[in-house]
Amino acid sequence: MRTLRFLWVLGLLPPCYCRYFSGETFSEELVIRPLPDGKVASRFEFTTLLHGATPRNPQNLSVEDHSQHYTLFPLALGQILREYAVTELHLTLNAGKWNYDRWGYPEESDVATGASLWAWMAEGSGSASAANARHRVDARWRDLRNALAGLFCASIASLDEQRTTSPGRAFTPVGALPAWPASVQHAFRHASLPSENVCTENLTPFLKLLPCKSLSGLAHLLNPHRLFDADWHGMGLHVSWRPNEGVQVRLTFQSVSDPLRAGGNSRDWSLRLLFDRVVDRACPVAASSRIIVTLPTKELYSVHPEPSSVVDGRGAFDLSDQSFPLDLRLRWAEPFQHATVPSAEAPLSVRRMLRGSAQDHGALAISITNPDSDPVSVVYLETLPWIVYLYLSTLELSVGGVRRPDLLQDISYIAPVPHGRAATLEAFLSLPARSTVTLHIGVGRSFLRYTEHPPDAQRGWDLPGAVVALLPAASGNQSSATDSTNKGAMQEMKKWNQPQRIYTPALLVDPATPDFSMPYNVIIFTCSLIAFIFGSVFNGLTRRFVVLKSPE
Amino acid sequence: MDRIRALLRPAGDRNLNRVRRRQALLSALTRRIHLLKITLFCVGYLWMLALPSPRLGRGIYIDENALGPGQVNTYWNWGDVANADRYLELLEGLRDSNSTHEQRAEVLKMEFLKLGIPASTQNYVFSSSTGKYEGTNAYAVLSSPRTSGTEAMVISASWVSRIGEEDGTLNLRGVSTVLALANFLKRYSLWAKDIVFVISDNHLDGMQAWLNAYHGETQSNLQAAELELSSGVIWTALNIDYPGHSFSHLGIFHEGINGRLPNQDLLNSFHYISKWTGGVPVLVYDHVESQNTAPSWIPAEYREELHGYSHRSNTILRHIGYQARGRGSGVHGLFHQFRIDAFTMFGLPATGPHGFHAIGRIVESTLRTTNNLLERLHASFFFYILATPDHFLKIGSFLPSAVLISVAMMFAGLKIWSDSAWIPDTSAAIEKEGENNGNKWIERIRPVLPVLGMMISTHIGGVALFYVLTTAWFSHNQTIASILLVAILATLSLRALLVPAEDTRAVAPVSQLLKALNLCFASTVISITTVVNFSLAMSLAILLGIPLSLSSPSKSLPLRIAKFTAYLGLASAWIFASDEVRKALWDWEILRVWFAPFVCIVYTPLVLQAAFVCLLPS
Repeated sequence: MRTLRFLWVLGLLPPCYCRYFSGETFSEELVIRPLPDGKVASRFEFTTLLHGATPRNPQNLSVEDHSQHYTLFPLALGQILREYAVTELHLTLNAGKWNYDRWGYPEESDVATGASLWAWMAEGSGSASAANARHRVDARWRDLRNALAGLFCASIASLDEQRTTSPGRAFTPVGALPAWPASVQHAFRHASLPSENVCTENLTPFLKLLPCKSLSGLAHLLNPHRLFDADWHGMGLHVSWRPNEGVQVRLTFQSVSDPLRAGGNSRDWSLRLLFDRVVDRACPVAASSRIIVTLPTKELYSVHPEPSSVVDGRGAFDLSDQSFPLDLRLRWAEPFQHATVPSAEAPLSVRRMLRGSAQDHGALAISITNPDSDPVSVVYLETLPWIVYLYLSTLELSVGGVRRPDLLQDISYIAPVPHGRAATLEAFLSLPARSTVTLHIGVGRSFLRYTEHPPDAQRGWDLPGAVVALLPAASGNQSSATDSTNKGAMQEMKKWNQPQRIYTPALLVDPATPDFSMPYNVIIFTCSLIAFIFGSVFNGLTRRFVVLKSPE
Repeated sequence: MDRIRALLRPAGDRNLNRVRRRQALLSALTRRIHLLKITLFCVGYLWMLALPSPRLGRGIYIDENALGPGQVNTYWNWGDVANADRYLELLEGLRDSNSTHEQRAEVLKMEFLKLGIPASTQNYVFSSSTGKYEGTNAYAVLSSPRTSGTEAMVISASWVSRIGEEDGTLNLRGVSTVLALANFLKRYSLWAKDIVFVISDNHLDGMQAWLNAYHGETQSNLQAAELELSSGVIWTALNIDYPGHSFSHLGIFHEGINGRLPNQDLLNSFHYISKWTGGVPVLVYDHVESQNTAPSWIPAEYREELHGYSHRSNTILRHIGYQARGRGSGVHGLFHQFRIDAFTMFGLPATGPHGFHAIGRIVESTLRTTNNLLERLHASFFFYILATPDHFLKIGSFLPSAVLISVAMMFAGLKIWSDSAWIPDTSAAIEKEGENNGNKWIERIRPVLPVLGMMISTHIGGVALFYVLTTAWFSHNQTIASILLVAILATLSLRALLVPAEDTRAVAPVSQLLKALNLCFASTVISITTVVNFSLAMSLAILLGIPLSLSSPSKSLPLRIAKFTAYLGLASAWIFASDEVRKALWDWEILRVWFAPFVCIVYTPLVLQAAFVCLLPS
């Protein structure tokens, strides 16, 4: 009976049930990885490939674009990409701080706290005429922010010029940048807003971009009630161009759930436990749809159902040969105990702190530990809003208390413009094997104009996290060196020849803030009164007024 | 009508009238300046006496709406109490096995790690003139879910209880509460701020080392390891002190070092939660209200008031004792220097009825309250005197008392200053028509520079005195050194006798000018200190107010010497309170409390200047 009804639906919508649409492919994947501290990391990836498409050449922005007809590719996004001629675009909205030391390197490498947006765009037609002013990179970057803010219901629009930077080395395009004739180089723009809160209002538009929404397939597991209760969660949008394939849109959702939070000592998980949902049916338009589970290597466990294949300790479940409803379950034979000896999970361990309790100055202290037996080179990127400025002359590098200026290979610094532009510091560092390098820079805190204080509760200003990018040349032998490191993600990064980026948590800085509440007025009033009384009394005691009769 | 107009707008030149009016007013004022001074002194001192009156002040209230104290259901339950009991057994084992600081911290760290909370230890050594203080702190950072970790709350317990400074009582139950809370709090995903658990070693020095390392502050005599774990900006801290077997009341200890106070909203929230969620009565310090002992012949309504007065005056005196000496009343006081609002909840040892169950619920609910904060606690709630747990004095009801005395001193000083410029000409009593006052006034020079030199030299002497106090030599032979120091001070001061008397008709006497400047300076010091540390300002107003105004030169040598001795006693008698001196110096060296340098460099020189006034020729 059930099959009959299904066939009837099929008859009604014949064009929908073909997995390969002309020129568009949709595939989905869920990677679940138990973490050493008992938590479970899961990563959803929804990839849509528009075959044969190329990004729009901004030189042709004044010419009308060809019409857009998509079946699987999200139209709302396609329109934004074409309108502002964006070649490559990345947007991440994350909540929480990714704990590299305990969770290892994430499947999705961009885990900066809050909202981050970065894009590559070519310069529009060079003439400075008023009509074409909107085709300039900065104008399109502004419009892109506003459009994405509308699409994702996030405060991306506030990533204004005061937060936009263009660092040179830490970020490289994932895809290729087309070499258009008569076009200048691609420009890179990056901005981040660490105080952005990510929640349901961002997930709903995210789901709308998927062909099956959250009705079927893996996206059905995206249950806001459980995802936003997780220890860490983040969504990402990645658009890139592959020369031989086309334009690829990758929508990702990553979360870290804690099965131990209920209070027991069992880290067994199931899809129902993690997401409070099971997969009822496959997404009919997905070309491939699979769940990959990292299986324990040292402990006894049982997994139900059996994976279709096991490669390299990772079991793959293809949704096409699973029975529905599908609820994956992984059980350990032994109860879980927390490790009391810390193990290095990530390729590098980075800590960043703001020292000093004064309100006008302090110091930024960064320590980077390289647990590896080989020296590595990294790019240390710091993008600071102008509220905080660096004293570059106080930059000091040391290993175990010994000053090592030789570790700093190169440095580039774009100074902040007060009330206008953020600062960018990129430092090339070489980290000796098995050592901790400490970087110490004095910082000053600006004095804000009173209108620059936000009108709501004043908790301070969030400084975006720093980025430490492992240069690809050195990361070649990383995955073989540390056993516990998240191999899958490392190989992924190697495949695209991307520098591995490690994000530090955001920092809170409170510049000198007057107490804008009532007592402030009272204090001012009282002080004026006392000054007035004192002044007149002092005058009266020390000066003498006499009447002189002037001879007429 | 015309008469009123004539009164308001008298005929004649307007400027002339104004000057005349002003002159009349001023002369009326200056003629009565003595009366004014005495009135101000009286009102000021009476006001101080009235501070404990139940009629002054008002009931507490919550100013910050975001706090919402006591609005949540608490989940801390008997299972968690059993956990706390298990931790207590472990800690008692540690105590009985005489474990070292490192072993203890290591065990505590392992307990945190077993819970899956990143933990670490920190070694520190303080070196001071009285010896070395070392210890090991254990701490753990619970990262709260989904937050960027930019803000944090601290729950702390020191290994030694506040009552253990004398007899070595350990805060075992406080520490086990913190451990059990760590086990409990990690089960909830509702924390918006990281929670940092700190078990500091000893009583005060451990937390000072931890806080300095956390904020990257350096202290020259402290060698502390860097912290391996960090979190965000700490906004609030709760310190748990639970030394007894059970407790009957929870006491609030809130004074920070250097006279800083935490935001009163925090204390009020705690009071509210303790009363309504935990069902535990709250005290200020450990002052349980005693039976009414007022004599029975007093009418009932006055008896009540008298009793309230005596109870409150105990509390306020203790508050002044903590705040004026800048000592802080416990571990929480160290947080205030980093703008962290903190207080200690002290379980008053008793046979019952409350224990882990009550304190756990109260701490849970208080944490939920501070978790609600969107911004640092702010507003006016930093200036208050807590008379009883639910009654406090606002800044307006205590600040003027000290200010009035300082104003009186300023008036006295300015009066002497202006008087010293003139002397009545008695030699030539010329009768002149048209002058209603027969006296002629001669103007004379005021030698300010020598007087200022004298004042500065006393302050330099104060610096030298303070330097001697901080040497190891002083701490080893305190009694002899104290006598020696006072003797040196006296001999040096007696040199003022050698100052020759000058012709007072041409030059104003040095003593008069010194007194004027001394009064003005003391008045300025008091009025500035009122806002920074009211208790200190009030103590200064009492110790300096009348004595400095009474200093005067005299003709006979024995009288001069007698007066001088009295002032010297006022200036330096504190040096013989050897316990107090030792504590104050320890506070300065370890905790950077500036009470000891303040007394040496500001208070003693000010009184010595008054002593000089008595010695100098008139």
